[in-house]
Amino acid sequence: MPDSTTDFLKGTLDLMVLKTLSWAPAHGYGIARWIEQCTDDVLQVEEGSLYPALHKLEERGLIVAEWGITEHNRRAKFYRLTTAGKKQLAASRDYWARFAGAVFKVLETSPTPR
Amino acid sequence: MHDPQQASAPNARRAATWRRYLRFWGPRAEADVDDEIAFHTDMRARDYMARGMSEADARRAAARRLGDLTQARAECIAIGSRRERRMTRAQLVDAFVHDVRFAWRTLGRQKAWTAVAIITLALGIGANTAVFSVVNALLLHPLPYPNADRIAFVYLEPAQGNNTGMSVVVLPGMPVIRAWKENARSFEAFEAYMDEDRSLRTTDGPPASVNVASVLPSFSEFTGTKPIIGRVFTSRDVADGGRVALLSESLWRGRYGSDPQIIGKSITLDNQPYSVIGVMPVGYRLPQAEVNVSDVWLPLDLRNDSAAVRLVGRLRPNVTMASAKRELEAIYARSSTEKPKSLGSTDFVVRLAAPSEMVSFRQSLLLLSVAVALVLLIACGNVAHLLLAKTAARQRELAIRAAMGASRVRIVRQLLTESLLLAGAGCLGGMLIGWLGLRALVAIRPDSLAELTEARMDGTTLLVTAGLAALTATIVGLLGTLQSARFSANDALKAGAISVSQSRRQRRLRSVLVVSEMAVSTVLLVGATLLIRSIVHLQTVDPGFDASRLYAVRLPLGREYTTAAARQAFLTEVTARMRRVSGVEGLTISTAVPPWRSFLIGALQVEGDPLPPAGATSFLDYNRIEPDYFRFVGIRLVEGSTITDTSKAAGQVVINAGFAKKYWPRTSALGHRIRVVYNGQGDWMTIVGVASDALTSGLMDDASRPMMYMATADYNEPAVLVRVAPGADPIPSLRTVVAQADPRLPSPNVSNIESVMQRSIARPRFTMTLLVAFTGLALVLAAVGLYGVLAYSVAQQTREIGIRIALGATRSEIASSVLRRGILMAAVGALVGVLGARWASKLLESMLYGVGRTDLVSFAIGVAVLLATALAACLVPVRRAVGVDPLISIRAD
Repeated sequence: MPDSTTDFLKGTLDLMVLKTLSWAPAHGYGIARWIEQCTDDVLQVEEGSLYPALHKLEERGLIVAEWGITEHNRRAKFYRLTTAGKKQLAASRDYWARFAGAVFKVLETSPTPR
Repeated sequence: MHDPQQASAPNARRAATWRRYLRFWGPRAEADVDDEIAFHTDMRARDYMARGMSEADARRAAARRLGDLTQARAECIAIGSRRERRMTRAQLVDAFVHDVRFAWRTLGRQKAWTAVAIITLALGIGANTAVFSVVNALLLHPLPYPNADRIAFVYLEPAQGNNTGMSVVVLPGMPVIRAWKENARSFEAFEAYMDEDRSLRTTDGPPASVNVASVLPSFSEFTGTKPIIGRVFTSRDVADGGRVALLSESLWRGRYGSDPQIIGKSITLDNQPYSVIGVMPVGYRLPQAEVNVSDVWLPLDLRNDSAAVRLVGRLRPNVTMASAKRELEAIYARSSTEKPKSLGSTDFVVRLAAPSEMVSFRQSLLLLSVAVALVLLIACGNVAHLLLAKTAARQRELAIRAAMGASRVRIVRQLLTESLLLAGAGCLGGMLIGWLGLRALVAIRPDSLAELTEARMDGTTLLVTAGLAALTATIVGLLGTLQSARFSANDALKAGAISVSQSRRQRRLRSVLVVSEMAVSTVLLVGATLLIRSIVHLQTVDPGFDASRLYAVRLPLGREYTTAAARQAFLTEVTARMRRVSGVEGLTISTAVPPWRSFLIGALQVEGDPLPPAGATSFLDYNRIEPDYFRFVGIRLVEGSTITDTSKAAGQVVINAGFAKKYWPRTSALGHRIRVVYNGQGDWMTIVGVASDALTSGLMDDASRPMMYMATADYNEPAVLVRVAPGADPIPSLRTVVAQADPRLPSPNVSNIESVMQRSIARPRFTMTLLVAFTGLALVLAAVGLYGVLAYSVAQQTREIGIRIALGATRSEIASSVLRRGILMAAVGALVGVLGARWASKLLESMLYGVGRTDLVSFAIGVAVLLATALAACLVPVRRAVGVDPLISIRAD
């Protein structure tokens, strides 16, 4: 899906992953599905970005991974939010809200005539 | 509907289990990432199938959906491996911290055991630290100059070697030096220097004798020293006639009261005024370690052909000594027409020497380094044995740990950690002992080893100490764990504890350790005994002359008295005054003062023999004397008479017995004529007497070396030998007499020959003292080791001994079985040690006097002391074995 949403997604992927994990631990596929479902499939998560992002978050200590068994008895790598991840999520969320609000204002305001 | 998940599950699980095992052996980032992606694909396909696709379609769609993940996969693997490496490291650190904590607790539980081990190591390491501090200061960093590792002394040596038994440094002539300095590309700096004693005029008394060093203007840069006040020499100073001087800090502080206005003031040396331009700090000194501290510094003019200077240079980086030597030799050969004129046709070769080669104490230091290394080995052996005994006692603990899954590596690591902790503590103790030892060493040093005070414990020393400790830990740890590395958990857990094969193997290893310690101790004992006997010889040897209450007054007349007649007149005058000094019993005049030697350069020719070939030149001992010399110093005449006619025409000579025996072994030497040929010439002298051999050249010398006594009508630099009444201290009045005879002369050097002779053996005695100390240390450690092994085996065999006593063995049988084992180990050690000592005594050979290096008595004494010590070490274990109560011991366990 090569449109503008892809690029847009990259900057916000971390945030969305953290948010997704704030509900419950999930494996990579679960995270992708959750984001797709939340956005009514508007945002399709690219695996090529998701897994490096997950590993980077894990390296930064924002999430931890554990091998576990799925409800279908499959072995999968589950990611869980750490305390540091929760803090990061809160901070990014505030920032994102302010940023989005600012962008929205720009889009909504029509130029004043001279 | 067929669920693909169900079918693939067992397979997948098997694969996953397999991967988990793989992961057990190391980081598997790659497998992890692949697993994860495979899982993702499967799930995606499952989703598609849930929406009604066939399995094949679903898989294809999923693959399409994922696209090319190569880059993402690589990125994930990189991140994963990085993390795993970090975690492995963290795990290792964690395991190490755990090991250390565990070791700390284990060691803390056995305080006495730990203390013995640590003290043993500290003694071994400390001895090495102290000696290494000296080696570091004297041999590794002999000069406090920048880039000292590239500094080389430059001098000439007789091409055919020399027969003096000393190193002969021939100073090249000025033309050669100038050629070298201008043309030698191998050197980035080339310095010439000299020093001499001169008289400094003082305002409040007789002239003071000061050491005056002459150096090139570049010397302060060469040494990296800046003046405290004022400036250093420039080439202008040399061009202007060099009437400027630098003062040493000590002279400035002492004689001039730290006068800040000293710059520009004038001082008078040998009646010549010099203007002070600066003061140099304490560390400023000439490159020879043993030279006196210079008081005054003057600029050296290389254009002055009469100066006899020494040379030192700093090689350019990456230039070897050998190539620099070749270059200097080539330049020397080109300027060969300008060879040092005083040396005539004698051939010389260029010699370059690193500063450490010029250290006279070098041989002793190497010997002592070997000795302390051996001490450390013995210490290692002891601690290894302690560790072994402890390991044996812990056999069950270790077995349980092994049975519970601790890997062999893990257990060995645990034991290594313990030895590392021990060595760490031993290292700290060793630093303390080393520091104390170094202070003791400096305190008991002979005066002539002033450079010892430069020994410090610096960063290098501490680093080496720490390195030694680490090495020790490894040796000890590996020796100690040799056992546990191959022990069998099954054996150790069996009832009755230690299996027979196990204990036998342990016993053998322990015996080998003790035997080695005994052998090393024997080597040291024999070496120490050889040195002791050598010193005893030096102290009791008959010097062949009477040095008691003998003083020498040296009179450097050359500078003030230019004619032979003036010198003779002054000598007559001053000796007449000296005879009147109260306490003076008699005096005579000679050029050589015991224990110093003077040489003639030339080749000896006996009348009737052909002219010696050119190049046969050597150094011939001689002394110019008065006829009453022999009677006065107490050298017996074995044949003929003393010199009766002192005229040059008479050409009378007295030789020593060694000379006579060498050339006329069967007939009398009297009446034969000899001469010293130099440049094809030499006056014939007639032998009128043969004097007995005397050690006038020093106690450590060979009395029978050929020696000639001649008369002279002109003493250039005479010494007056004075014998005084017992209890008299003639030095002040002798000085006064010289000052009265000529106030211009600096205060003369007056030496007590007897004490100088005794002092000359101070260095070998110092070496001997240290070697004896280290040997004592080694012996005590080895005895402790033997004691430990015997005591341990008696403790182990308590039950067996009890049974034997119960079965009727007598106490003496028990005692002899223990004793036999101890003495056997000592004897085998002594035997190996004797063989080792025979070889190692080569190191000592040059330090032995009056004792051969295979001296039977020394070897016998060394072995006897070892066996006696071993016997003493056996006594307590033997008594313990004899005291075993059969009832208690059999019931035990």
